[in-house]
Amino acid sequence: MNNLYLAAVINTTFRYTTPVLFAALGSLACTKCAVFNVALEGQMLAASFVAIVANYYTHNAFISLLAGVAAGAFVAWIVAVFQIKWKVRDMVVGTAMNLLVQSVTAFLMQAIFGSRGTVQGFGMVPLTKINLSFLKFSPFLYRMFEDLSTIDYLGYIVAVLIFIYFYKTVSGFHLLSVGINADAADSLGIKSQRIQIWAMVFSGILCGFGGVVHAMGNVTVFAENMTSGRGFIAMGAASMAQSHPLGAIASSLFFGTALSLSKTLQGYINSYFTEAIPYLCTVLAITIYGVVISTQRRKATIKM
Amino acid sequence: MLVEMKQITKTYGPLVANNKLDLSLNKGEILAVVGENGAGKSTLMKILYGLETCDSGEILIDGKPVRFRSPHDAIANGIGMVQQHFMLFPTFTAAENIVYGHEPKKELIFFDRKDAASQVQALCKQYGMYIQPDIKVADCPVGLQQRIEILKVLYQGVNIIIFDEPSAVLTPQEVSELLKTLKELKNAGKSIILITHKLSEVMEVADRIMVMRLGQLIKTMKKEDTNIEELSFLMVGHKLETREIQKIEQGDAVLQVEHLTLSGTGTKNILDDISIHVRHGEIVGIAGVSGNGQSELIQCLTGIKKFDSGKVIINNTDVSNRSVQENRDSGCACVPEDRYFWGTASDATLLENSIMAHYHKKHMMRYGVLNRKNIKKFTNDMLAEFDVRYTSDKQAGKELSGGNVQKLIVAREISQHSPFLVAAEPTRGIDIGAIDFIHGKLLDKRNSGDGILLVSSELSEIFALSDRIYVMYEGRIAGEFSRAEATRDKVGLIMMGGKLNG
Repeated sequence: MNNLYLAAVINTTFRYTTPVLFAALGSLACTKCAVFNVALEGQMLAASFVAIVANYYTHNAFISLLAGVAAGAFVAWIVAVFQIKWKVRDMVVGTAMNLLVQSVTAFLMQAIFGSRGTVQGFGMVPLTKINLSFLKFSPFLYRMFEDLSTIDYLGYIVAVLIFIYFYKTVSGFHLLSVGINADAADSLGIKSQRIQIWAMVFSGILCGFGGVVHAMGNVTVFAENMTSGRGFIAMGAASMAQSHPLGAIASSLFFGTALSLSKTLQGYINSYFTEAIPYLCTVLAITIYGVVISTQRRKATIKM
Repeated sequence: MLVEMKQITKTYGPLVANNKLDLSLNKGEILAVVGENGAGKSTLMKILYGLETCDSGEILIDGKPVRFRSPHDAIANGIGMVQQHFMLFPTFTAAENIVYGHEPKKELIFFDRKDAASQVQALCKQYGMYIQPDIKVADCPVGLQQRIEILKVLYQGVNIIIFDEPSAVLTPQEVSELLKTLKELKNAGKSIILITHKLSEVMEVADRIMVMRLGQLIKTMKKEDTNIEELSFLMVGHKLETREIQKIEQGDAVLQVEHLTLSGTGTKNILDDISIHVRHGEIVGIAGVSGNGQSELIQCLTGIKKFDSGKVIINNTDVSNRSVQENRDSGCACVPEDRYFWGTASDATLLENSIMAHYHKKHMMRYGVLNRKNIKKFTNDMLAEFDVRYTSDKQAGKELSGGNVQKLIVAREISQHSPFLVAAEPTRGIDIGAIDFIHGKLLDKRNSGDGILLVSSELSEIFALSDRIYVMYEGRIAGEFSRAEATRDKVGLIMMGGKLNG
């Protein structure tokens, strides 16, 4: 394995990290105000699909991005209405929405493109790529960051912005307070339900970015159920980070690595095993997370 | 006249919660509103605080009629409320909680936490109530949490403060702190409405007293013109007899606990070498601030929690670490401390709730089939005897009011005529009439020769019933008193971790 190959693996890792990071940030924005968002997967998939459809008609990456993000937000809004306003159980709404999006996109794909499986080509354009020419002095670094899109970088910036929002602004303070005690927030004149609905829609926007970059970041393509569990992996990433936005960067990179390894190792190891890597990592991460949390809780009870 | 409420009426379906009530509050006075649970005190205050709207009647503030659609409107008009259930964020600091909703900002969107802390400090100084601005609420004892609630209301800049049963959750020491605070607030020119059913506190701080019963205003009077006896008569509507505790012969121990130890996850034991006993014909009280191991002790005694070492002997049977079933079979009944969490199943019917833990007994069940007829008779007789107000035995448990649920649980446990009963907080949050009733039943049980272990955070209850008192502090028995030698001061001191001199 030469150096440049390693750089390529890191590059792939970044690409795989972005959708997970966006969705994880969306997940934790909900968790922080006591909403369990199970529909991340559906939000991403809807965004991927709508972005590809918009791309097919307009051949404009920016419009496709907006369309995808809007689709994610729309799905999230529907989930929010059911889950937060009408108090339907989160698992029921989320699972129903995930399955609904999966089947509706498959159906519309056939209706619009007349094909099953995958949609590719049709002169569709990918997201704008950035190449950092000042890194040319080192082929390794250059290869590491080669052809990443603006959205790939945006993910990390959004994570930092969310961090600032949570812990430095009044509005973020109110959002966190809803997660701690929604009744108290209501009694003090903060409309907790409205905050929760906005958090869900915001998570839809973030998942929208995730879904768009997943479909248009590398090869511009849509495949049936192409998110294949990334929404759930993101959920794992968010809870591993204990819903901390900066922690989510680290945990998303971890899962990004797992996803990238599962691709890059395909030539060397049995592909049934490599495909299982990300999911094995999820189980591993959740186990570790569980152990850490339960020891922390134990410590906390001693303090009391 | 600062606040006037005129002819306030509020109905919930067929129930008239407030019937043409009048209330007036002067500047700088403490008005106590007393009455049993369900008298309509809370409803009236919710109307004043904008949590409910009245069907008819009007509210005047400084002579101007007002209408509140939410607490926001009330606060804007200078009315604040310290709720019974604290509205706090445990993982936030005291300062964050106090300024919540009116946070000092910098650059329009950012939360200026430094300014918040210094404002809170200034507020503390102004009213002589001290608190560390950066302490986490989760780390504060209940008394301190209440202080944070009071400061929060003061921070909102209100002149009128409603206190809803403020002393219900406090230790005796904390109560006297609170009463001092109330007086200080009054001296600072605030007007206070104090809702309570503890008459001794009323007599200590109130200027005027308003008595309510069943949604009606009974009487408003000056403190000087009344006394505790008259107030309790007006509240309940009939005279409460003062109970004499009959002297009876006490027999052998029915409960014997030897060196019971339950370890925590740290170095400190949750229960540390507890040795207690209860004899036949004896009520033994366990006093203590809640959270000092009482809950765990009850759970160990009744078989819910397994302990590390020691022995529990009930009615001459060693039931140490046995199942709940074996425990009950040995002759133990239990009124658990939380009537909803442990005591009842809220969706189950009254029939089911009445035979819980006893359904397997002979007259209830045969060959695995429940005997509906017997159960129905048993339930209805029992509920009638214990004066539980219900409409049908097929009602769900959650449809009963708290006091009636409590009576049902007490009824169920006493009706088993077990030689030993654990009664944990048997009267928590219920009104004088129901308390009096339950106390009577517990004493009857004792007089019939059974032993009762009474765990209560309410000192007056411990004193009213117990033949002997243990005080628990940090998982240990920190003191033991006979009825004759126990005083509130001595017991209160040990509850707080103090030591008696000599």
